[in-house]
Amino acid sequence: MIEVNHLTKRYGKTVAVDQVSFKVEPGKVTGFLGPNGAGKSTTMRMILGLDAPTSGQVRVDGKSYHELREPLRSVGALLDAKAIIGGRSAANHLKWLADSNGITRRRVSEVLDIAGLSDVAGRKVGTFSLGMNQRLGIAAALLGDPSTVMFDEPINGLDPEGIVWIRNLMKSLALEGRTVFLSSHLMSEMALTADHLIVIGRGSIIANASTDDFINRNTAPRIRVRALEQYELAEVLTQRGAVIERGSDDALVVTGLGAAAIGDAARIHDITLTELAPQGSTLEEAYFDLTKEVTDYNAGQLVDATKGA
Amino acid sequence: MSVTTHTNEVVVPTATAISARTPKIRRALKAEWTKMRTLPSTWRTAVIATAISISLGIILCASQVHAWSSMTAQQRQSFDPTACSLFGIVFVGAVVLAGLGVRALTAEYVTGMIRSTFTAMPTRRLVLVVKAAVTAAFVFPVALFAAFVSFEAGQRVFVGKDLQVTLGNPGVLRAVVFGALAVSLISIFAVGLGGLIRHTAAATTALVLVIVGGVTLGQLLPVGLRQYVPGTALQAAVTVNHSAGLLQPGAAILVLGIYAVVTLTAASFRV
Repeated sequence: MIEVNHLTKRYGKTVAVDQVSFKVEPGKVTGFLGPNGAGKSTTMRMILGLDAPTSGQVRVDGKSYHELREPLRSVGALLDAKAIIGGRSAANHLKWLADSNGITRRRVSEVLDIAGLSDVAGRKVGTFSLGMNQRLGIAAALLGDPSTVMFDEPINGLDPEGIVWIRNLMKSLALEGRTVFLSSHLMSEMALTADHLIVIGRGSIIANASTDDFINRNTAPRIRVRALEQYELAEVLTQRGAVIERGSDDALVVTGLGAAAIGDAARIHDITLTELAPQGSTLEEAYFDLTKEVTDYNAGQLVDATKGA
Repeated sequence: MSVTTHTNEVVVPTATAISARTPKIRRALKAEWTKMRTLPSTWRTAVIATAISISLGIILCASQVHAWSSMTAQQRQSFDPTACSLFGIVFVGAVVLAGLGVRALTAEYVTGMIRSTFTAMPTRRLVLVVKAAVTAAFVFPVALFAAFVSFEAGQRVFVGKDLQVTLGNPGVLRAVVFGALAVSLISIFAVGLGGLIRHTAAATTALVLVIVGGVTLGQLLPVGLRQYVPGTALQAAVTVNHSAGLLQPGAAILVLGIYAVVTLTAASFRV
């Protein structure tokens, strides 16, 4: 369980995270979604006590991170799989982590097994592919058998097999009753993995809902229409409150009116429809709609917003 | 979840967290020692430092034997066979071994692994102090071995001119032990330097400048100040025939200790 209350982080004049509040609950996968530079990593670093908030607070299982006596047993996190010294073997990397939190060596072989790294446990980390590093990072996160796990962009750079593996792992961790919090800038990935979504844009929470609710609420049904009397149809539908965009092949893309209402309007005005096709609205579209006003960072702001320990 | 449930029962409540402080240090020591010993470069560094120290000691002693005939009576009078055999370890060996201290922090900052360290052990100053302790504890026996072998090898070289001394001579054993102690203190200084500079190459350059460059630039300083330069203090720590412009060996160790503590303290405000 993670609780974030009015969390704010400023770097000089740039506000990376602005009065953010949310709860991440156990038993489900919560996606932390937002464009690059929106404040996801900064928020995660503050949850882990790596960055000090300018104001506000974070509680993990009711405690601040610094109060956790053996933090790896409460929170397991993977921030950056490449952030690791290459000269040590995978097993030895996990061993020092285990030692730091009084975790047994037996658990080290267990997590190597879970991550599918047992065969390469003795190999130097420096020779690992990004995918193997990612697996090692996840093994490290699971080391303390924590009730909360946190992953920052875990599928970046993974092959399709690795993506499926991570997706299933997240779901099974949630089924075991753990709090699973994972960030991504990829909406499509979240649609498949997350039960709940927290969307952040320019340092503020812009949505906090179950994935299903989020789609229903944010994706208006679209209907593709073509008629012989295209211009008249557009006029008629606009009068009835529809919003019309021009699609490909001169078709009209209508939002705000159902297929039945469009058909009815056409009949009354004696318009001949040649095409009437409801379009599936996707989470991807909902996400773009929601974040399009908040992605206007320039490069300078991005650098400011992503720096820090 | 079974393991988690189990440990939740054992976890000491925060009200008694103060009594849990000792195990926290012990866990940090164990973790940092595991880090140190599982890096192959640690052992490579120890072997290289020992080899360089001993060979350099032999070369320096041989060159003194070679120059003996051209020395003035006064130079012969003040010649210190113990210090001469230990210069390899206290100057070059110290720099190589202190590299372990530099990298203890810089390698983690450069790769970003420091974030794993601080999420596993959120008490950052404890991590800094533990890193210094583990480095010094590793460096001391290596430096002592290198100092001892350098001394013995150097004295063999002096046998030809009958200049050799033994560990039984007054002040000689102290010089060998203080040599190793001085190198350990320099390695702690290096941990602090790594914490302040955070880049391996830059911190290493600073270390070399302080130890080796300090001796050269120290010549520009008045004698009263020159004796406190780290390089001069290193020399003083292994000196048996006391000469003007050098601190007493004990005072030299104290000065090096102050450098180590001050640098580490400064670094503790940056971690």
